[in-house]
Amino acid sequence: MGYRDVAKIGVGGPVGSGKTALVEHLVPRLVDDGYEVGVIANDIMTQEDADVFRESFADVVPPELIEGVETGACPHTGIREDPSMNLAAVDEFTERHPGLDVVVIESGGDNLAATFNPELADYFLFVISVAEGEDIPRKRGPGVVQADLLVINKVDLAPYVDADLEVIEADTAAVREGAPFAFTDCKAGEGIDAVAERIEREVLFA
Amino acid sequence: MGSEPAAFLSALRLSDSFLPVGGYTASYGLEQYLNEGRLEDGEELRELLAAYLRRLVGPAETVALANANRASAAGDLEGILAVDERLHALTMPREFRESATKAGAKLCELFLEDGELDAAGVAFARRVADGETPGGYPVAFGVVARRQGVEPLEAALAHAHGFVTGLLGAAQRLGRFGHTEIQAILEALQPTIVAVCERHVDAEPAAMASFAPLAEIMGMRHERGERRLFVS
Ligand SMILES: Nc1nc2c(ncn2[C@@H]2O[C@H](COP(=O)(O)OP(=O)(O)O)[C@@H](O)[C@H]2O)c(=O)[nH]1
Ligand SMILES: [Mg+2]
Repeated sequence: MGYRDVAKIGVGGPVGSGKTALVEHLVPRLVDDGYEVGVIANDIMTQEDADVFRESFADVVPPELIEGVETGACPHTGIREDPSMNLAAVDEFTERHPGLDVVVIESGGDNLAATFNPELADYFLFVISVAEGEDIPRKRGPGVVQADLLVINKVDLAPYVDADLEVIEADTAAVREGAPFAFTDCKAGEGIDAVAERIEREVLFA
Repeated sequence: MGSEPAAFLSALRLSDSFLPVGGYTASYGLEQYLNEGRLEDGEELRELLAAYLRRLVGPAETVALANANRASAAGDLEGILAVDERLHALTMPREFRESATKAGAKLCELFLEDGELDAAGVAFARRVADGETPGGYPVAFGVVARRQGVEPLEAALAHAHGFVTGLLGAAQRLGRFGHTEIQAILEALQPTIVAVCERHVDAEPAAMASFAPLAEIMGMRHERGERRLFVS
């Protein structure tokens, strides 16, 4: 039993786009649906982030299945060129919990070029927010283009930042070329169902 | 020296941060030196790295690496295990051991999967995977390098160079050091790298030692450091 025997879902995207907020919605849902879930946070304040998750998942995920992984100020390296420390953390999970079904790995916030190494994530979500600018999808960042699912978060903020959701949708459809994307408001918990259903269908039933 | 071209390339590969063994997450206490404002400029950084080389990389890691390399050449699994045990025992800070054993395990895993190990190497890598021996990075490096035809001194140089560039990279990401300044420090450290490797490469395992108390204290304080971007 090791990292190859468990489904791994990567969550990438720029700092503050809502990765943690999304993970906080997704994990309890996956647990509710009967999966045993582990969570890894890669970030500046790694252990602090892990503690935030331990607190918010106090009733759903045992603390030893939540880990912070340091990436030496190189969040993209940690999920792409050299995911070895993340994989080592997954190995530690599976050693103690052989029945583990899935591990959610939140990348430290990075730029639009960060993608997940396919040996680290079987499926990867890229989270951007409308508040970062209407033109984000148009830049065709590798994260935006290659993600298995692109999540466009903070739709509630669109009116305050002069972002036109119709423009974003049209641009996104063009750069994604048929690959899926979803709009969410992680503050109100809207759009999460569609994301969770897709993950369960594509990763956990497969 | 004057190795085969393939062995030379292997030494380059092993000393390159491109090798996916998590080296970029280790600072071996350097992050804490910076957290505590103990490194003012490039000169202090150079002095610190020279001290790491003379007191830790040379007398401990180079001795372990070279002896693992020779034991590996002789097919002597017990010899490799003894060196591994000793190096682990004299590495005081928990996080130094953690960085070294995680990278060592990944290095073994990588070369085991590629079918790139001889019998003693395979036996060692299996024990590392099963948690029966610590699998410290310098020991794994010595074993892997041997299989690639890299002799002890070249392996020691490649490892010491990788150690120095790893820490210089960490310093650059954490502090404010220019790229030309970093290269100048690397250049200035070259004679120390050579001297330290030559001095310790032929030592017996029993000579393995380290004396770097402040670096160890920094390594231990890092566990509770207020800023932690690195594992160690
Ligand atoms: N208004 C609004 N705020 C959000 C939404 N999603 C996240 N946030 C807030 O945005 C900030 C950054 O979110 P976080 O999940 O920590 O981002 P991360 O850096 O990508 O993990 C936090 O203050 C969240 O509460 C959203 O959909 N709408
Ligand atoms: Mg976050």
